[in-house]
Amino acid sequence: MATESIYKVLKASIEEVIDESPLIKTFVLIPESPFKFKTGEFIELTLNGFGEAPFTPSSSPLITDKLEVTIMKTGYVTEKFHQLKPGELLGIRGPFGRGYPVENFFGKEVLILGGGCGLAPIRSLLFALEDIRDKLKRVVLCYGSKTPTDCIYKPLFSRLNKIDKFETYRSVDKPEPGWNETVGVVTTLLDKVNMKIENTIAVVCGPPIMMKFGTIRLLEMGYKDDQIYLSMEKNMSCGVGKCGHCMMGEFFVCKDGPVFTYGEVKNTPDLWK
Amino acid sequence: MTGLEFGELKNISFFNDYSDDHLKIISKISTIKEFKVKEILFEQYDQVSDLYILLEGTLSIGISLAKEKRIHLSSVQPGQLISWSAIFEPQISTAWVMATGPTKVLAIDAKKIQMEFKRDCEFGFLTMLKIAKTISNRLSDTRFNLMNQLTV
Repeated sequence: MATESIYKVLKASIEEVIDESPLIKTFVLIPESPFKFKTGEFIELTLNGFGEAPFTPSSSPLITDKLEVTIMKTGYVTEKFHQLKPGELLGIRGPFGRGYPVENFFGKEVLILGGGCGLAPIRSLLFALEDIRDKLKRVVLCYGSKTPTDCIYKPLFSRLNKIDKFETYRSVDKPEPGWNETVGVVTTLLDKVNMKIENTIAVVCGPPIMMKFGTIRLLEMGYKDDQIYLSMEKNMSCGVGKCGHCMMGEFFVCKDGPVFTYGEVKNTPDLWK
Repeated sequence: MTGLEFGELKNISFFNDYSDDHLKIISKISTIKEFKVKEILFEQYDQVSDLYILLEGTLSIGISLAKEKRIHLSSVQPGQLISWSAIFEPQISTAWVMATGPTKVLAIDAKKIQMEFKRDCEFGFLTMLKIAKTISNRLSDTRFNLMNQLTV
């Protein structure tokens, strides 16, 4: 169960640490009591004595006794997280924010465009979509990373390709020997998938540059503003819309998002900053 | 090798909006070419005389800093156009293109298609729109890639 007070921390022990890429690790956490969240919602992860930071779980929202969080080393707190070993304790607050409204995806094709560490929240969404795949027409994942080494969740792609209605495609900016998939930015993959645009929901999650160029390409292809869902996980701090750190135009990303339709936020100044 | 019948051209995504008359023109002025793995379709700065539409296989577009140093920029998917330089003076390719698997392309004679543009302006306008869209997407992808590199 989620903690009752927004300030109350739920203890969780680290069961396993998985190296995803040189800068990214996945932490498998065992909360001391069941923890529920909806896909796309985020948590505040606390490391005693060092601080806390917001992350969207990368595990299935259907599993409550185990939680996976994928963390990219970007600064002081995330570097401390990366030093943690199995058996050590963390704190969880949340879940917070507004996740993916998967009920809006029923009867549709779902195109997911992900880049870099943006695959973390997408992986949770993929687990959720796998559970409701009878209600979906098709799920297509297009994922881009800088190099094959930077590609995270490598086993995920072959697993999804074996599931009915699921297809995955990968691209890298810079190939390495042995790479025989697509080369180029992730938008290159959009020429490969033949979606029925009028009946498709597009989901975009990744670094701001990727989200900008990905969204622009989708709009050029004929997607409408409200067919595009963006996961705007930036500058979040308190998690409850009080500190103002994540303010984006009229929205607090942590409270009103982090998932928005492009239609909701398209007039926001510095949307892709 | 001869080209494709106009009925077969209908199945190629690049020609989605073309009328049967337009496809009959394409059929008359095009041939099919096949390439083996790692075969170069054309080098950067080569004079090019055909527009290519990828039918089967995969292609890689890249640039060279030196002859032995090839940098792969992007993959080409079936249905996509390459060698747009063949339409514009001085018909010099801006990149090299290599087959990364057994590949089949439709080669459209650029001089002949330009003569058809003069005869049938609607056909010319439609084709030039598609070429412009291809160039626009490549430019956008290049900017995306550049921004990626600059923000590392």
